[in-house]
Formats: sequence, C-alpha cells, structure tokens
Amino acid sequence: MKELNEIILPDELAYSKEHEWAKKENGVIRVGITDFAQDQLGDIVFAELPEEGAEFSSGDEFGTLESVKAVSEVYMPIGGTIKAVNSDLEEKPELVNQDPYGQGWLLEVTPSDPSELDSLMDKNGYFEMLKGDA
Amino acid sequence: MSKHSKQTPLHAWHVQQGANMAPFGGYDMPVWYSSAKNEHLAVLNRAGLFDTSHMATVMVNGPRARDLLQQTFSRDLEACLGKKRTPLQPGRMVYGVFLTPKGHVIDDAIITHLEDDLYMVVVNAGMGPGIADHLQNHLADSQTRVLDLTDQVGKIDLQGPRAGVILFGLLQDPDRVFARMPYFSCHGHLQPEKSEVRLRDGTPLLLSRSGYTGEFGFEIFVRPQDLLSAWTSILEAGAEHGLLPCGLAARDSLRAGAVLPLSHQDIGDWPFVNTPWDFALPWTEDKQGFSKDFVGAQALRDLTDPPLTAAFVGKDLRKVNAGPDSKVLNAQGDPIGTVLSCVTDVGVGWHQGRIYSVSSPDAPEDFKPKGLSCGFVRVTAPLHPGDAVKIQDKRRTLEVTVAEDIRPDRTARKPLTQMLNTEHK
Repeated sequence: MKELNEIILPDELAYSKEHEWAKKENGVIRVGITDFAQDQLGDIVFAELPEEGAEFSSGDEFGTLESVKAVSEVYMPIGGTIKAVNSDLEEKPELVNQDPYGQGWLLEVTPSDPSELDSLMDKNGYFEMLKGDA
Repeated sequence: MSKHSKQTPLHAWHVQQGANMAPFGGYDMPVWYSSAKNEHLAVLNRAGLFDTSHMATVMVNGPRARDLLQQTFSRDLEACLGKKRTPLQPGRMVYGVFLTPKGHVIDDAIITHLEDDLYMVVVNAGMGPGIADHLQNHLADSQTRVLDLTDQVGKIDLQGPRAGVILFGLLQDPDRVFARMPYFSCHGHLQPEKSEVRLRDGTPLLLSRSGYTGEFGFEIFVRPQDLLSAWTSILEAGAEHGLLPCGLAARDSLRAGAVLPLSHQDIGDWPFVNTPWDFALPWTEDKQGFSKDFVGAQALRDLTDPPLTAAFVGKDLRKVNAGPDSKVLNAQGDPIGTVLSCVTDVGVGWHQGRIYSVSSPDAPEDFKPKGLSCGFVRVTAPLHPGDAVKIQDKRRTLEVTVAEDIRPDRTARKPLTQMLNTEHK
C-alpha cells in the first residue's frame, strides 16, 4: 500500500470526497478514480460502467469496480449526460490500476451545470482530506 | 490499524514490503502485497508463501487426551484415515469442527497427532483461548493438560505446485523427509529437541503436508524467533521458481474455489449439517447415524428440516456483497436464503460448458480465464449441483449455479514424488 506522500495527485484535476477525479477537456468532463482509490481497491478485475446517454446527478452511483474480493461503487463528481465510456477497460480493467489518470479513465460527461466543477477539491484540499482520514 | 491489534513476528517485514494491511481475527495482517490477483495465480502456477502465525495452537497432552478429543471433536479419531477409516496415529492429521451442545460451530480445526499422548489442535486467529476453555470444560480427569501455545508458535504456509521443489533445496536430508509424506501427514515436532526435520541452517521444524488453498503444499511450524529467517530463506530459495509472498485476499479466493469453508463466515453460529463438508462429521457408512457420541451430536440428530449450505459458481467474475442483507432467490424469484461469501477465483473460466483452471492439463491452447465468482449460500430449500439460483445484494442480481466443485485439477492430493519430478504448467 502506498504511503500518502507516494500518492500521485496531478495539479490540473478536481477531486471528489469519494475519490474520483474530474478534468475539463474539449467541453466534456473526463472522470476516473484517484491513485489513492486504485491503491486501496487493489487489482481491478472488472469495471461496470453506464450506457452512453445515461443521465446522472452529482453524487449518483454510476457503476462499480470489482476487485478480487470486493465490489466498490463509483460516484459522479459532477452531474450530466454520459458522452463516452472507456471501452478499453472491458479487456484491460487493470488499466485503472496502472494508469488511473491516463488510460484508466472511466467515462466522459457532458455536464448539466459546469460550475459544479468548482465545488470539487483541488489537489491540496484532497490531500488534506486524505491526511484527515489516515 | 487498531492499537489493540496483535502482530505476528513478521509484521515489520510485511509493513516494510508495503503490504496492504487490515485487521483480521484480532491481528494486523497483510491482505495483499502488490497484487492479490498475481498472488492467487502464483499459487496455482508456481508457489505462494503465507504468514499464518495468527492461527492459534492448542496442545492436548496426557493419557486421556484422545478421549477428550473424541468427546469434543466432530471426527472419530478411531476411524478417520483414508477409505479404510483407520485410526489417527502419530504423524497424521485430521480436519473437523468443534461444536456447541446446540450443534453450532465454535471453530474448525486440524488436529495433528504428534506423539502417543500428545495432540496439536490448530484453530483460527483469536480462537486459542476459546477452544482451550471449551476443552478444559470437558476435562474429566486431572491428568490431561490443555495448553494454549498460540504465542509460542510461528507458522508459514508454502503452497503451490513448486512448493516441494523449493523446500527440497532447503531441507537437511530432504529425501528422508519426503520419503513417505501423503496428504495430511507430518514430520518433525514442535519441540526442537524432538524434531528430526531441519532446514539446512539447522532451524527445527514441524512440517505438514496440508494447507488451505486446495493446492499442493506445506504448513511449516517454527519457533517465533526462527520465523523471519525461515520466511526469508524460503522466499530467497523460491525466487527462481516464481514464489510470491501472499496475503489473506489470495487465501480467501483460493479456498472458495477449492470449496473450503472460512470459519465464522461459511461455517459459524448455526447447526453444522447439510454442508459440503459432510466428511467432517463421523457418519456411519450407511449415513444413518454417527460412529461415536460427541458434543453437539444429539442436537444434530434431533434437527428437523435444517437449512442447507451449498457452493455456487457464477457465469463471470461479478460478485455481490455477502452477508445478512444479501438474498438467494430460487427460480420462481422467492427468497430462500443468504449469501455467506462471494469472491473471485481468478484462475478459472468457463469454456464450452465446463470450467477449466489455468493449471488444467487439458485446458484449450488459447485459454485465458478472467475469473469466476464463487462462494457459499445458506438456504432453507433443497438445492442440488446444477441448480440455477440468483444471488442479490442492494445493487445487483446475478445468476449462479449450485456446484459440487469449482476449480478443477487442484494439486493438493497429488503424489509428492510427482510434484517433485514434473514441471508443472
């Protein structure tokens, strides 16, 4: 398990208290789970993701990540319509562990209210939350 | 980690390796090191090493030790070995359960017959005092001694097809030690001066051929002060064979695929009957009664219409959360019970209507399993292998099949000579 100071937290991302990250990219919000979350879950062996076009509010459960022993819910850091899901995870769910901010992204959302992004934590806020939980 | 958690002598090593640690049975234990999936597969394909020093050890000693165990344990020690049901003898071991008078499981145990009047009872983490008390409560004489030695015994399990090859290079006189060592037998002793089994550096051992993974392997008992050196020696010797240290997650997923119960989860505070572990009760050959009396036997005999425990396997690796809030639904959609456990055995997969394991010799050439969910349900309706039921938690409902067996081609019972001589897939 990683020490807190080993957790990778890119500057440009917004973070939720449920350990998802969000990033604005060409008008959509790309969403994944943080390095901390993938480290806690261990080997992801299956990712259950929503259909494109599905609509969610901020905080809604949108899918599950399955490790050998447990099933964990993942939640929307921002409300909106699913624009795309990462189909590479069907064959290679381990990408979530290997590259949580890159090839292991989960989905892209067309936000219903882009200003919701401002209510998420920045890197420092998220790191402080992790320290508080530890 | 809770500050009240106990630690095994290997705790600092686990933490230093960056293991994911979690509380288990009152101990702070590694769940996995870098990958539960790789650790599971290592045991199927090569070998894995488990710190099981959190397991509890109770010694029962004296001329009437056997009578005490006959009275309290669910196996008939006079008729428990092999198809001929021969008596337990020094150097042999037997699996069973200790029951309350109501027939509920206190814990499961492996009893090792060490000497004529000396038996070692290995039970689960935190259960040493409880089992010792239970035995004490049934003492009929002052000559039998029951001693909880949990903190004086270190234990590691070397499991997987390469386990014999790895150990062969580490033992003094391995040919003699391995000469006659069937499944569920042991050599050596817990008392160093009585052990004829030693590592090449002189470390005395009690070495048993058993384990909790369903695969070929050994349980190794050493003094706590020898544990770290034995652990690191085995890891170093096993490196060239692909040996990995393994945590509780791999143990959990391996045992479910091998249809072995986890105490307090698959067996627990309910009557121990109608289970896949029928062999742990001393049924007579005609199955009409027990071959001996023991604590809990009357309650089991008196039961009418008891619930049933069954193993299941899924269609893919998706799981539900087990526990009292889960449900088992029959074909009509009626709730008939709860899910006791549900994990993924990553070493198996369906192919043309049957399950293959990564170690199946006849697996199709391009077979790459993603894993299957498996575990145990407890239901009030009769179920049979092949029956389809649904398991459900608050999130999802999955179709699963009741199964007699799950992971095929397990190696636990293969002849030791074969495991020393063949290059396993």
